[in-house]
Amino acid sequence: MIKFKPGNLRVPQFQRPVYVVAGGTTDYRKTYPEYKLEELCMMAFRMLLEENDLKLPPLEVKGLINMACYGEFADHFQDQLLCEAKVHDYLGLDPLPNVGIKTGGATGGYTTLVGANMVASGYANCVLVMGWERMDEVDTRTGNYYISTAACKDFETRLARMYAAYYAPMARRFAHIFKVKEEVRAAIAVKNKGYAYYSPFAQQPAKLTVEEVLKGRIACDPLRMHECCAMSVGAAAVLLCDEETAYKLTDHPMKLYIAGGTHTLRVADRRNMEIPLLPHETPGMYDWVEKELKEPYPGFQSFLASRFAAYMAYRMAGIKKEPCEEFDLVELHDAFTISDLQTYGDIGLRPYGKEEEYITSGDAYYGGRCPSNLSGGLLGTMHAVGATGIFQCVECFWQLQGKYDKFHGTERMWTRYGKTKPADWKSLQIPRRRRALWISHAGVGSHVTCGILVNPEEVKE
Amino acid sequence: MKKQTAKHRKTTSQKHRPATSKTPRAPEVKLIGEPMMVERMEPAMVIQWPRTLVHHHTYGLLTPFFEGLKKGVLRATKCPTPGCEPGFWLPPRADCPDCHARMEWVELPNPVIGEIFTFTRVEYPGFGIELSYPYYQIDVKIPGCCTIMKGYLIRGEAKIGMKVKAGFRTRKPTNTILDLYWEPLE
Repeated sequence: MIKFKPGNLRVPQFQRPVYVVAGGTTDYRKTYPEYKLEELCMMAFRMLLEENDLKLPPLEVKGLINMACYGEFADHFQDQLLCEAKVHDYLGLDPLPNVGIKTGGATGGYTTLVGANMVASGYANCVLVMGWERMDEVDTRTGNYYISTAACKDFETRLARMYAAYYAPMARRFAHIFKVKEEVRAAIAVKNKGYAYYSPFAQQPAKLTVEEVLKGRIACDPLRMHECCAMSVGAAAVLLCDEETAYKLTDHPMKLYIAGGTHTLRVADRRNMEIPLLPHETPGMYDWVEKELKEPYPGFQSFLASRFAAYMAYRMAGIKKEPCEEFDLVELHDAFTISDLQTYGDIGLRPYGKEEEYITSGDAYYGGRCPSNLSGGLLGTMHAVGATGIFQCVECFWQLQGKYDKFHGTERMWTRYGKTKPADWKSLQIPRRRRALWISHAGVGSHVTCGILVNPEEVKE
Repeated sequence: MKKQTAKHRKTTSQKHRPATSKTPRAPEVKLIGEPMMVERMEPAMVIQWPRTLVHHHTYGLLTPFFEGLKKGVLRATKCPTPGCEPGFWLPPRADCPDCHARMEWVELPNPVIGEIFTFTRVEYPGFGIELSYPYYQIDVKIPGCCTIMKGYLIRGEAKIGMKVKAGFRTRKPTNTILDLYWEPLE
């Protein structure tokens, strides 16, 4: 049983505030032979410097950078070690220090976490955080095998060579113990792919119905292909600054808090433990899980890493009430519909056992109390793994700045990627812009970060 | 070492002399690899980049586990420290994550019987799959085990709660985890 001692539960503290001041991204595609990886990174970097209404010219902003943090999930996809050095040189940032960060699907989140700490500690005033993935050098099945080496190679990889096969048993157990119908998972796919329809960056936008998802081809039962994200190519970046630099560059920076958590790479090795409580939860409220349900925690139904990351991040950012009341947007790691659903309980959008209500109540939709994945998420828009946790941050940042339309609705943004803006395009700009949260997630919950952006114009801390 | 240094010095000093007919000519470098195939030229040049390699992977202190499978026994590890995790570990670990003590091997008596905790039917596996598919990948709860181990069902239909028995690929073993399978308990 995992037992904490007091030092383990110390809440992280930044030595000084950290702000996001700009974001950039490419669009995302299954294959992108038009550009080399470093050329795509330049595309995201230029957008970050040139299109965020910063108060200084692009090269002056670049002149403030003193550190870069780079996220890439897997060297073997490109067969290139030290890709960080190639990108860093290509962006013209030598000889500034840079560091590569690798934590699977949570690479983007942890790259942001490391960058934030560079600013918080005073090592740097202005940090470029960039992530990418190029997954098109191999065919899909080889890509699936590569990804499955992020399961335990001795005991699990050979048992499928396909990551959906590690999530599908969780989907089955979750449905079995909480009596959740398949329609709920299907609704998540419909929602997120539907929101991707309004994004020029999206790889797999679709207007689907629940029936179409359920009738779709099975990947690993019960997960359908529509419930699994695709492999992507692309890059995303954010610029993190201390307070003084942030306000030198923009009048609308967003304050950043971010914390991480981890758990075993093998679901097999999860041992029963007490549930760490979020600030709004009450002692004893989960006694039923062990006593009545007789199910271990986190078992196959929950992610301890996500719970731990939220436990810390909420305390860092002073989130005390129900998260649906505190946040105006969440961007979750919907690599699979089931991982999205499980996370609702981990981060307290609903109590454990009632995760499905976040969808069925309408809270999760645009116009609801706390919409999720308006970016289109991983199911609809992208999972260029190293970029994902950074792309989610960019989308949260633009939403809080009130710039959803600027980046998703202008004609030139669509034509830039050779696309036509849909005639029935609509704005998904959130009306209240206080706080946004994003979850970056790896493995079967091996690494997770919980990032929180706070709008200082709306929230007095 | 000294001899080599002297030789090296001589070579270095020779570098500055004009080449004579006596200077051995370096042989022309020949291509010994295969040309890469151009897959497409539009919108950019894309070549095929073949990659085959062999890794030398150790099972380390878990060697007795994989050795056991070939002999038809399931070996787990257990922490000897009183008050530590009372259950045994499968997959085994050599060191206890809670107290760091070296764990002890326990041989589970056959038949090893467990229960399906959850499962999936793998219909779309990744490249290099070694099992014919579709097949059931199952997570098995074994009494006394503090973890729930992943495996596969060699025949029959999986159901949550179904009792299964460990089987071993002792003839033509693969020397991998695939040497352990589960079959319905009849």
